[in-house]
Amino acid sequence: MIEAKWKTIFRYVILIAFLVIILLPFYWMFITSFKTDFALGAYPPSLFPVHWTLQHYVEAFTKYGFGTYIRNSVVVSLVSTFLVLTFASMAGFSVAQLPVRGKTPLLVMFLVISMFPAIAIMSPLYMLLRHLNWLNSYQALIIPYTAFNLPFAIWILRNYFLQLPKALLEAARVDGASIFQSFYRIYLPLTTPGMFTAAVFTFVASWTEFFMALTFNQNNSMRTIPVGIALFSGQYTIPYGTIFAGSVVSIVPIILLTILFRKWIVSGLTSGAVKG
Amino acid sequence: MKNRTKLGTLGLSVVTLGALVAGCGTAPTTNTATNTASNGTSGTQNTTGTVDLSKASGTVVWAASPIAQTGIRNTLIGDFEKAHPNIKIQLVDLPSNTDTNRQSLATEIEGGATTPDVYMGDVIWPAQFGQSQLAVPLNKYLPSSFFTRFASGLVQGASYKGNVYAAPFYVDSGFLYYRKDLLQKAGLQPPQSWEQVVSDAQTLQKKGLVQYGFVWQGASYEGLTCDFMEYLTDAGGQVLNSQGQPTIDSPQALKAVNFMKSLITSGISPRAEVTFQEAQSMNVFDQGNAAFLRNWDYAWSNSQNPADSKVVGKVGVEPLPTFGGPDGHGTIGGWDLYVNPHTKNLNASLEFINWMTGVQAQKILATKYSEIPTNATVQNDPQVKKVNPVLNIVSQVKLVSRPSQTPNYPQVSQAIYTNVNQALSGGTSVSAALKKAQQQIQSAVSGNGGL
Amino acid sequence: MTPQTDAAPTNQRGKVRNKRQSLQAPERRAGYGMLTPSLLVIGAVTLFPILYSMWMSLNHISLTVNGFSMNFAGLQNYSLVIHSETFWHSVWFTFYFAVVTVFLELFLGMLIALAINGIDRLKNVSVVIMLIPWSLITVVSAQMWGYIYNGVYGVLNYLLQSLHLIGAPVTWLGTGTSAVMAMMVADIWKTTPFVVIIILAGLQMVPRDLYESAYLDGANAWHVFWSVTFPMVRGSIALAGLFRILQAFGMFDLPYVLTQGGPGTATESLSILGDRVMFQNLDFGPGSAVAVCTVILVLALSLVFLSAFRNLVREGESE
Repeated sequence: MIEAKWKTIFRYVILIAFLVIILLPFYWMFITSFKTDFALGAYPPSLFPVHWTLQHYVEAFTKYGFGTYIRNSVVVSLVSTFLVLTFASMAGFSVAQLPVRGKTPLLVMFLVISMFPAIAIMSPLYMLLRHLNWLNSYQALIIPYTAFNLPFAIWILRNYFLQLPKALLEAARVDGASIFQSFYRIYLPLTTPGMFTAAVFTFVASWTEFFMALTFNQNNSMRTIPVGIALFSGQYTIPYGTIFAGSVVSIVPIILLTILFRKWIVSGLTSGAVKG
Repeated sequence: MKNRTKLGTLGLSVVTLGALVAGCGTAPTTNTATNTASNGTSGTQNTTGTVDLSKASGTVVWAASPIAQTGIRNTLIGDFEKAHPNIKIQLVDLPSNTDTNRQSLATEIEGGATTPDVYMGDVIWPAQFGQSQLAVPLNKYLPSSFFTRFASGLVQGASYKGNVYAAPFYVDSGFLYYRKDLLQKAGLQPPQSWEQVVSDAQTLQKKGLVQYGFVWQGASYEGLTCDFMEYLTDAGGQVLNSQGQPTIDSPQALKAVNFMKSLITSGISPRAEVTFQEAQSMNVFDQGNAAFLRNWDYAWSNSQNPADSKVVGKVGVEPLPTFGGPDGHGTIGGWDLYVNPHTKNLNASLEFINWMTGVQAQKILATKYSEIPTNATVQNDPQVKKVNPVLNIVSQVKLVSRPSQTPNYPQVSQAIYTNVNQALSGGTSVSAALKKAQQQIQSAVSGNGGL
Repeated sequence: MTPQTDAAPTNQRGKVRNKRQSLQAPERRAGYGMLTPSLLVIGAVTLFPILYSMWMSLNHISLTVNGFSMNFAGLQNYSLVIHSETFWHSVWFTFYFAVVTVFLELFLGMLIALAINGIDRLKNVSVVIMLIPWSLITVVSAQMWGYIYNGVYGVLNYLLQSLHLIGAPVTWLGTGTSAVMAMMVADIWKTTPFVVIIILAGLQMVPRDLYESAYLDGANAWHVFWSVTFPMVRGSIALAGLFRILQAFGMFDLPYVLTQGGPGTATESLSILGDRVMFQNLDFGPGSAVAVCTVILVLALSLVFLSAFRNLVREGESE
């Protein structure tokens, strides 16, 4: 009995310590975004701002155009997510329910490709986009984000479609529905949880992607949030206040998403989904 | 005679440009054609040193990173538009980190973008940009008299293989900033040699007057190449000899890097020096924690701004010293104006450059914003020299260029700063680092991509 | 692809199957049709560029006002890459970083998951908090750690000095060894919570009575872990590990912001090197060779991953 109690306390200590270690850097970032310029470079640093200021938040939007970055990130992430869901649900249905040849090698190939380092495709893709005059455009990011997130989404949705009986399709077809209609009206509504999971993963991946955004959309008006935050630093200055003000703003939607969709993220992870 | 040859080369340039941009629209070709005409007329009345581009019109997109103080760009644009009712200037903000800037502009222009028409670029880009045809050779369109306005050596720095690819906009150099108040307290004079910087710094540190003696730029980036060039030239060394072959594995370079390293090991410079870019070194100085600072022109105004600095009114500045005496070398920095070869507004762009490097704009740059002008007349104007101590001493600085005459300069510089940084951080010995730098520069100048 | 060619020649099992297949023809056609958009996008963005990368790596490429000009160069770019100390250093660093961080992430993740498994209170809050670093933009986390590690005003030095763990401030990003370590900590901080969630999810699928019977048999906790728990979660751990290693091989954001590959080239990953050669030095030939070499290394790792993954894909197949 006593040992069990001691054990429980130990478990809680580990859990709380772990959560604190996760949160401390965020605390520091949050606090720093409200410090005055002068306090930013002071040592010893004050663990709590002496003078609070909103100056960095104002500057992020007025001087550095952070609003533009947010707009670009939102457009790119939402459209990519929508496309991924559309294509992946069809493909997932196809490999799970329809007699398609070579689906196993195809799936494996997709998953392997999705893990390829971006550097492998960077220069040809760059040249292709340049040729199409698509550098500095939304599609320059939307298309690669869709491609890189499709395999994982197909994989997740395939797992959901597999759980549904094939008899549903036969029944629907006897009633005169086409294959696509039965997919759209009968199967799709049954895979809503899988759609949520795929959506969250795609959105987060698109929201955080940096390498392609940096290379394909150099123009200030087309930058996404990660590129904006990386390039705030000037020739002679590192405006940490503004950097962290922007960072705090960029985290908010993601935290909301995490709270709302926590269940689906975790269920996505348990269904063999282990992509970071 | 002279006119004839000029037209000859122009004709040739029309052909090559036209051939190269075939398929990308014909606008640049027509532009060159109209320019031939306007150049022809200006050739006959070629006395004032300016081009007759007064009929130019259109909208010029100017990409520029924020010049040290905000507002400069818009002030200049406003005055330009007042003088040129037919030309509108549209400002595009560039990131102010030079490498990011270069990548961004190079990929955009190489991608065929017709804007920006004019862009502000680093003084070390002409060779690379000229080689890759990312900038218009200005001498093909502007008379040679245009280039006489610049202070000596600047046009040469903007040239590659006989063509001038940029118009120097403002210059910069390294200076030695010192704490007047601390030196006074210790009864010292501003140092007249590197050795004196060391001994003064140690005196001040021992007396407990200041935490660090001397801060500079030691991180693994372009700025370290700048700092290194100063010590190297002071020691009598070179990176590339006149044949373009590396000579960095030399006793002079050894002396230079050993000196830099001794600053850190003796505690005069903080250990964090190997991660310092301008911002970090400036921060230490502004917080009142360093006696000496090597930095660019902007450091004067920055240290005198009470919002950032604890040392307002306590700072002096002098040219960097050398080993065993005063008047050492300062690396040339600063920014040039380049024209995009895909521009559809060549004439208006040239007129913009013409005006920006002219007396009126350069004087605004110097007097209002204390940037160092490139226009020789303005640089020597007594009124300009009064603006601040940096502008007053700039003519005494012995300027030294980075070895940017090779189109592979980025790779050469990477070889310098990564290896010197490695040596400073104690990752390798100084002599091993220089040997490696020598090898890497050797293969860099023969085009290895920086591998 | 027409149903006839599809069904006829490959079939060797007689008429019954053949007939069934032709009945399936509309479904088959629909199947391919519904796969097409995905195939097109993935092919255009990954397969085509990878093949083109290979072609580029065999050429001298120079920039001109009209774009790229290519001249066949054979294996010259590869010779450059293979003889480059910088490249091999970068291979070593990337591999070393990937293996060490992933191992530590899995190890710590396992320990923490075992310790907190079974805590029911705070569960929802904990999961949300653990998911935040995962969903955090890597660039943001790199800026954050850069500020924390700063050698002059970094808060890490202040904390360690207050605890008397260090005397003078340490320049964490100033020497090769400490910069690599600092970067590892940043990566481990960001990814371990995610691993914990995966393993926790795995642990919760272990049936309770398995534990109970093991304890009844008199096994100690350690024994129970190795004989009951570990075999149940081994699969998901191995998979997570392999995915993470492959992902770490493409590491770019963290060094780009935190160290810019420095000090010297100590933290220059393959992606940073490739980016520097291609997009900073505008040398696309050798840069593509670096990219192709990276792909070859990743493919080699993927073979390991494939052998583990095939079985899992087959489990769900009904065909």
